[in-house]
Amino acid sequence: MTTENKNNSSYRVYLFVFFSVLLFILTLWVVWNDEFGLRPWKKYQNEYKSLKHAQLEKDYQKAQNDFTKSGDSRTLARLEAQLKKAQDQFNSSEVQQKYRKLSTQWADVHAEAARNQKELQTARGLYLETEYYFTKTQKAGYKKKMDDLQKRIDAVSSKASSLQKQEESLKASLAPFTSGIADIQAEIEKMKSPLEEKKERIATSDKVPVEIKQVYIRDVDKADRCQSCHIGIDGSRQISTKQPFTRHPASFVFLKNHDPEKFGCTFCHRGQGRATTSVEKAHGNVKHWDEPMLEGDMTQTSCLSCHGDVKHLRGAEHIAKNTELVRKYGCYSCHKIPGYDGFGDVGPVLTEVGTKVNYTWAVNWLLDPKNYFATARMPKFYFKQDEAEAIADYLFSMSGTTRHDADYSADTPDEKLVEQGRSLWSQARCNLCHMTNGKGGNNVKVYAPDLSKVGSKANKEWLFKWIKDPNAYFPGTKMPRFRFTDEEIKALVEYLVSEYQDDEAEMKYPTPSEISSASIKKGKDLILKYGCYGCHKLQGMEEMVQVAPSLMSQGVTFLKGEEMREKIGAELTSIGSKPIDMLDFGKLQKAIPNDRLSYIKQKLRDPRGYRLGLRMPDFRLSETEINGLASVLYGFTDNNIPSRFMVPSRQELDKIAGVPSYKFTGDFAKIINDVKCTNCHTIKGIGADYAPDLSVAGSKLQESWIRNFLANPDVIRPLLQQMPKLGLTSGRAPAKITMPKFNLGIQNVEDTNKSDVDVVLNYFQQELVTPDIPKEIPVITTLAIEEQIAKGKELYDQKGCRSCHQLGNDGGALGPNLSNVGNRLKAGFIFKHLENARKFKPDIVEPNYGFSERERIYLTNYLMTLKLNAK
Amino acid sequence: MNPFIEIITQPDNIAIVIMIIMVTFFTLWAFQQAFENDRLIAAGKPVDGENEGLVDTFKPLVRIELIIALAVMVFLTFWSIVVDAPLEEIANPTLTPNPAKAPWYFLGLQELLVYFDPWLAGVVLPTLIIVGLIAIPYIDINPKGNGYYCFNDRKFAVITFSFGFFILWLLLIVIGVFFRGPGWLWYWPWQEWDHARVVFEPTRDLSNVFGIDSRSLPGFIIGAIVVNGYLIGGMILPYRYLKDKMPEFMKQFGLIRYLVTASLFITMMAIPVKMVLWLVFHIKYIWITPWFNV
Amino acid sequence: MKNPTDIKEKVRKNLIWKSVFRRDYRNTVRDRAQAIFGNIFLHLHPVQVREGAVKLRFTWGMGGITFFAFIILVITGVVLMFYYHPSIDQAYSDIKDLEFQVPFGVILRNLHRWGAHFMVIVVMIHMFRVFMTGSYKAPRQFNWGIGVILLVLTFLLSFTGYLTPWDQLGFWAITVGTNMGAATPLLGYQGPFSEFLHITPFNDVRFALLGGSRVADNALLRAYIWHCVAIPLVSVILMFVHFWRVRKDGGISKPQTQK
Repeated sequence: MTTENKNNSSYRVYLFVFFSVLLFILTLWVVWNDEFGLRPWKKYQNEYKSLKHAQLEKDYQKAQNDFTKSGDSRTLARLEAQLKKAQDQFNSSEVQQKYRKLSTQWADVHAEAARNQKELQTARGLYLETEYYFTKTQKAGYKKKMDDLQKRIDAVSSKASSLQKQEESLKASLAPFTSGIADIQAEIEKMKSPLEEKKERIATSDKVPVEIKQVYIRDVDKADRCQSCHIGIDGSRQISTKQPFTRHPASFVFLKNHDPEKFGCTFCHRGQGRATTSVEKAHGNVKHWDEPMLEGDMTQTSCLSCHGDVKHLRGAEHIAKNTELVRKYGCYSCHKIPGYDGFGDVGPVLTEVGTKVNYTWAVNWLLDPKNYFATARMPKFYFKQDEAEAIADYLFSMSGTTRHDADYSADTPDEKLVEQGRSLWSQARCNLCHMTNGKGGNNVKVYAPDLSKVGSKANKEWLFKWIKDPNAYFPGTKMPRFRFTDEEIKALVEYLVSEYQDDEAEMKYPTPSEISSASIKKGKDLILKYGCYGCHKLQGMEEMVQVAPSLMSQGVTFLKGEEMREKIGAELTSIGSKPIDMLDFGKLQKAIPNDRLSYIKQKLRDPRGYRLGLRMPDFRLSETEINGLASVLYGFTDNNIPSRFMVPSRQELDKIAGVPSYKFTGDFAKIINDVKCTNCHTIKGIGADYAPDLSVAGSKLQESWIRNFLANPDVIRPLLQQMPKLGLTSGRAPAKITMPKFNLGIQNVEDTNKSDVDVVLNYFQQELVTPDIPKEIPVITTLAIEEQIAKGKELYDQKGCRSCHQLGNDGGALGPNLSNVGNRLKAGFIFKHLENARKFKPDIVEPNYGFSERERIYLTNYLMTLKLNAK
Repeated sequence: MNPFIEIITQPDNIAIVIMIIMVTFFTLWAFQQAFENDRLIAAGKPVDGENEGLVDTFKPLVRIELIIALAVMVFLTFWSIVVDAPLEEIANPTLTPNPAKAPWYFLGLQELLVYFDPWLAGVVLPTLIIVGLIAIPYIDINPKGNGYYCFNDRKFAVITFSFGFFILWLLLIVIGVFFRGPGWLWYWPWQEWDHARVVFEPTRDLSNVFGIDSRSLPGFIIGAIVVNGYLIGGMILPYRYLKDKMPEFMKQFGLIRYLVTASLFITMMAIPVKMVLWLVFHIKYIWITPWFNV
Repeated sequence: MKNPTDIKEKVRKNLIWKSVFRRDYRNTVRDRAQAIFGNIFLHLHPVQVREGAVKLRFTWGMGGITFFAFIILVITGVVLMFYYHPSIDQAYSDIKDLEFQVPFGVILRNLHRWGAHFMVIVVMIHMFRVFMTGSYKAPRQFNWGIGVILLVLTFLLSFTGYLTPWDQLGFWAITVGTNMGAATPLLGYQGPFSEFLHITPFNDVRFALLGGSRVADNALLRAYIWHCVAIPLVSVILMFVHFWRVRKDGGISKPQTQK
């Protein structure tokens, strides 16, 4: 029994030791984890510190070398020698004897003064105490004591001032002994201080503690600890280009406007700001974290979270470019997207399409729009032949009226008319917006259709009506009404139909009665299913029954308003923060990464790929467009961002402030609606940036010049300064671009007596002016005007204006041609423009030369002499 | 990765794997000792520990306690270093995960939800489990097997308990953890979870089998007969049988104790019965009343 | 002083030593007994136990391990409480920060989480062992009942702890779990016969559990208080009843063959 017990207990001791050792090892492991394993930022911070140390050390060495090489080192040596001499002198026994005697005296006085000070404090304290009792009891004894104490205080303070005087005089006599030394020392100090400072900086940077650096934003409980590793992100110098030590790129835009101490990092970059234990966790590339980090251009997607308007936002160029894609393809037509609800229809009105196009074309177009022209924006719905025919049947039956004329293509074109049309075509600069045979269409943002094969699409009669008054067929179209005469329009139509004809096209114009009602019904169902009404105006089709009584009798009904109210696509308001589990990857669950961005991209690449029965059409986007659109969609989030970070757009601000958005008034509004000036120009914030901003044109341009220009537009700038916006990247060379001739003034607006040009000019002078631009320039009376002009010319040559501006045929082509500037611009504008060119055009390339007022007057006066005589 | 490996290496499921290993080990150990003691009893020898004397608590027991505490600490520390406790996305009331699983130790009850309505599976049955467990000492009047592992002397008790413990509790947990995927559908460990998978199992109620609408009065009556017949018959028939075969035991057992035991037992057996009805005959309800369905 | 035994002797004769340990230990029967009943922690045990209690094969140590797991959970739990706010705005980030910010936070949370799983497993095996050895039989019937309640409390402790991190896992586990409450006969608004008591989602059992009609701030606070205060308190009391009854019912059960 005892032996067994003994054996037992000894093996238990071994077990005890075994487990204790194991537990000890595990404890060490835990401590190691907590100190190093789970704290990778320590390594980074130490590495950064040593890099910084090396850099500062190098700075110091360089400064020291520079110092040694320069004459300063010799001066220093001389000063040190002087110092030594002065010190030796001071240390000599006779000087020391005097100095000691004086300083002992001073020390005595100083001690006496200190004692006196103590005495003063005591007296004052007693006084205050007595005063308290006196106030409380009003006893005369206290009063007397107070008076005594007051006397004591007075005596002590007078002694104090005399002591102070003594002390000062002693100090003054002591000063000359050491002042020489102090001066030299100060000088040495001053010489050494830049070096010392550099050395100090090394020590300070070495002392920076290794710790978690975090930005905490209380109201959203956001703690961004990114800087624990990205330690140099907002440093003043680039310590290393290696991650995670780099500085933030373009920090003068991003960090300057978004102080990291207030914004943190993850508002823009997403990722898991709190994480510190591994790179993957911090960057959010882990399970259970839906917000992976954004980098590079993709980060700009976050601008959309706060900025209402990214169009002219510095640093948001990538996203600004891509938001245009949403407009281009009209995503908002089928999907609800915040901030995109005020735009017009993407596609043309279809209510009377049967009078416009031929049936065969319509069917082919429905089958594949890109077959007609490659830049077609309308997506492919993958209709089968019979489906496309059914939709065409529906559309044609709806249009009611029968086609009147026979097939135009059979006619022999009138050569004379065609020639006349051709010249009108180029005069009206149709090519500015419309592309033909791969040429033209520079003003891409109006998305005008390619007209290369228009003759086989639309009939002559419709074309005539269309050109005569586009608004009548399609209210809100971007097509301007050129004020052509009927003969001119005929010529133009003749030219279009004969020149841009696809000979293989089959012309067919069925009348409603020929169409089977079953097919119409099928077409209607398809339209409802695919939501054609999202992009094309089909509203009010219920009334179309009236125009086709024969169909009514067959029980054909047309779309009703309420059937088309809902947006057909999923709401995209918060697609960028939608939980991953809510995204249906369907068939592709295993094929693509299960993250939000991949989902969006794949959806755009193959809209019906996730599962059967999806309806979204195929836009056949390029990979660049897919990435661009995805980056925009990714920015539509409902992240809870405090309102203080929000930057509303101009329009939103106006809405909040109750300021009505600018509206054109009177006859000018009619002209705008007619000629569509805002297709190219921006006026008071409305319109496109294809042509110059006219918001202050009245203050800028001379009336006579405008009148001339409208009658006969000419090239102002050979190369517009916004070259990239012309689409140079897409391979189209910038032609010599000028404004189309709209023939304003030939016809008056309705029955006013004024001509259109007068209306325009009047509006320019009344509305499009600004008090910032003076009407006149200051006059210099002391100098003859000729002298001033001469000085101006001198300046013009001297400052190198000609490198950008042309005079005659001489000079660069970046800025506007100035040959006729004296006729074109108002002196006040030139004067103001020379002061600060960016005031009216923030993105102008013209440098600011910092001219004085006088110089500006000279230059203005000179420029105003540059006139070409009217032809 | 292999879906099976993926499932068993999920941090929370590692606990289930540990449970399976531990339960298997101790079950084997328990039955090994039980059979050993059975042999000893059959041979008329004293069972393990019967003739044991006393030992001092200090130090043998204190020492072994310390060693076990150390071992447990080592085990837990190692587990905690190697496996990190998961933390999923922040709670989102609008986003229901599929499948939404209860904590693993309640998965047996969640599994019962497939076969029973929530008031039964979630409330009545758990209550009966607790009541039944507490009742065990009072209904098991068998004086044998007290204080040692044995099987022969208390076959009924051990088999019933083991059935409840291993099949109705642990097995259902393992099924819930490893074999249930989106939509609470059955997935073999080597199958991929497919969130889009649709399984339609046409179901019917018991009376539908005989062509009678289960929501009609005849259906109600049939259901009532079957359910109550099961409950009452389940008590009366064994009573008669036992009274006949073991009058001595029944006399000792008493009527009340018999009723409690029988009702608990047939309720427990109702679970596998209903599972079979559902799985084999696709019968959803046996008895439909205006207030509850069984 | 040169001799180590001298130092040992000096220390043992020291007033402080004596005040703590009272007397020397000389490995006599009396001292061995004294070591047990003179120590508040050890006097849970009798002075002498039967041999089987010392051998692993009978008890497997499962009851003791459960208690030890409970102690680990209390200690780690108390420390975790220092770093945790039971509000839905902070709870999740508090748990995140345990990993990212708090010294030893990772090991603390892991120990608590895995310790809880471990305790549930061990307590079930303990019940299995007690059943298999028939230890619930007279005179231990009542203690078995206490044990069953402790088992349920262990489940509830673990269950209420599930919600505290306020993540998807816990949120939906609690939602699924408490929806059962809504199905309680008479007292849950979806349960049978509840209409007779005019039970609505706003006055039923589930509402009482959650402090609301859905899992939200109040539910988190309730889960937290149940988890950290109420259930542990009840558990500790029942545990001591359990241990007390083990002693009073004759210690670890021993074979009582009917002869």
